[in-house]
Amino acid sequence: METTQTTEGGGGGATGIAAQMEVEAFRRLFPLPFYKRHLLESVRPDARALDSARDTTISLGPVASADGSALVKIGETTMLAAIKLEVMTPSKERPDEGSIVVEFYMPPICSPMVRPGRPAEVAPVISKQLLDVIRSSGMVNLKELCLISGKASWIAYLDIYCLNADGSLFDAALLSAVAAFTHLQIPLVSVTEEGRVFTVSSEQEEKTKFELVNKEKRKLSLSSIPFPLTCVIHEDYILVDPTAEEETVMETSITLVLDTLGNLVSIYKPGGVGLASTEIMKECITRTKRRIQELKTILEESVSVMEVD
Amino acid sequence: MEYVNPLTGLRIDGRRPTEMRHLKAQIGVVSKADGSALFEMGNTRVIAAVYGPREVQNKGQQMNNTEALVRCEYSMANFSTGDRARKPKGDRRSTEISLVIRQTMEACILTKLMPRSQIDIFVQVLQADGGTRSACINAATLALADAGIPMRDIVTSCSAGYLCTMPLLDLNYAEDSAGGPDVTVGILAKMDKVTLLQMDAKLPLDTFETVMQLAIEGCKAIAQYIREIMLQNTKQLECRRGS
Repeated sequence: METTQTTEGGGGGATGIAAQMEVEAFRRLFPLPFYKRHLLESVRPDARALDSARDTTISLGPVASADGSALVKIGETTMLAAIKLEVMTPSKERPDEGSIVVEFYMPPICSPMVRPGRPAEVAPVISKQLLDVIRSSGMVNLKELCLISGKASWIAYLDIYCLNADGSLFDAALLSAVAAFTHLQIPLVSVTEEGRVFTVSSEQEEKTKFELVNKEKRKLSLSSIPFPLTCVIHEDYILVDPTAEEETVMETSITLVLDTLGNLVSIYKPGGVGLASTEIMKECITRTKRRIQELKTILEESVSVMEVD
Repeated sequence: MEYVNPLTGLRIDGRRPTEMRHLKAQIGVVSKADGSALFEMGNTRVIAAVYGPREVQNKGQQMNNTEALVRCEYSMANFSTGDRARKPKGDRRSTEISLVIRQTMEACILTKLMPRSQIDIFVQVLQADGGTRSACINAATLALADAGIPMRDIVTSCSAGYLCTMPLLDLNYAEDSAGGPDVTVGILAKMDKVTLLQMDAKLPLDTFETVMQLAIEGCKAIAQYIREIMLQNTKQLECRRGS
């Protein structure tokens, strides 16, 4: 096949670029053999080892107007989570508990696959997964979201926006939700004579004549924080933290969520060509445990960075 | 309420009447998009992503075979404004702003060079503090430049108002909701032509001239800033390419 020659570079440079053209074309036309060649050398196209995840960063408090917010990046995948608290009347069956509403959005900016009128089909799936994991892990004690038993409690609206979709969407989304809850501060609240509850901002605090319902702004005490890891399986290879390209090519993914106490919170393997034997599951669990240590350190560092400011 | 303090002459956020908010822009924030930019005007923060030129996805919408189809969608994040209760897209305001941005950008994109293709401009508001329309247009200009889409000129936009008998440049949310007039202008910077002009509330004609001139000055200042950012970006790309 004739490859185009460019004017820059001498003989060595020209063959370099010619080889480059071949590689890119090969990658697009035959993705699976392209990956196979890399897997035989135990490496991936972005030079990562099979069991290493991409660089993860967490930044707390990017949205000043929200009560709690976090921006998480795993490689290029970017998620922005924000929590807004509103007062509501609790249900009669649970008069001293608040509630959490989780919504996950994939706006058209995040990926060429998402178009207006044709929303991403993974978005509601991830939304439901997030809600299930946050509920079942018991990370947030709903009784902490109570204000006045039977009369008023907090409803926490957690909105997560995907700003850049490059694989491992659920991982980044759950991490951003956890980080936002870590950053959440419950505002001061006071009651009017008619019994209406309203939030008091810190400037009004000194001037208010009303009695404050809660004496100080406080953070939630989170127990057993869940941390996720997504892997893709191809024959006997397990690739940790896939990019969007790897997810499309290899098709079978497993998501595991473990909490800081070592309990298994959630396993999610939605079908797929690859079959996961018990050994593969055990391998994935080991990888997840290692990843949890990394994520825990990163989260603690970001909290201490924020407290220094 | 006094939006301009009579003693010091400063506004509620400490700016002088003809002073714009702090601008900050970043190119290439969404790696998956062909072109993207983050634009901040004070507390208003907006991300624009451009996908295109690519194949037309809905053949029914394609009007003629000689020009590219430009599509735009504007949406606000749930947490972008003070209270959360809003439908992020599909409500009337978002549809109107989508239309405004589309027509403004269509004026400057050389659509005849890319027939039978589609250019999608998506704008997402992360934080809204007045002037979202202008921030979106400025972000869209940078994103289109990042995507390498041929344009006639750069389009910049700025708003100005008139409160307490003073023309004010670049209104924030508090000043915007004060009920005074709000003039939003979008210009083609070098050609010095107006492509977008919107105004609401009553204003006598000669005051309108002053306010519009002020807004156009603001647009030119933004155009200067945008050029600097694009130059910086090109230098970085040159550096990475190793030449």
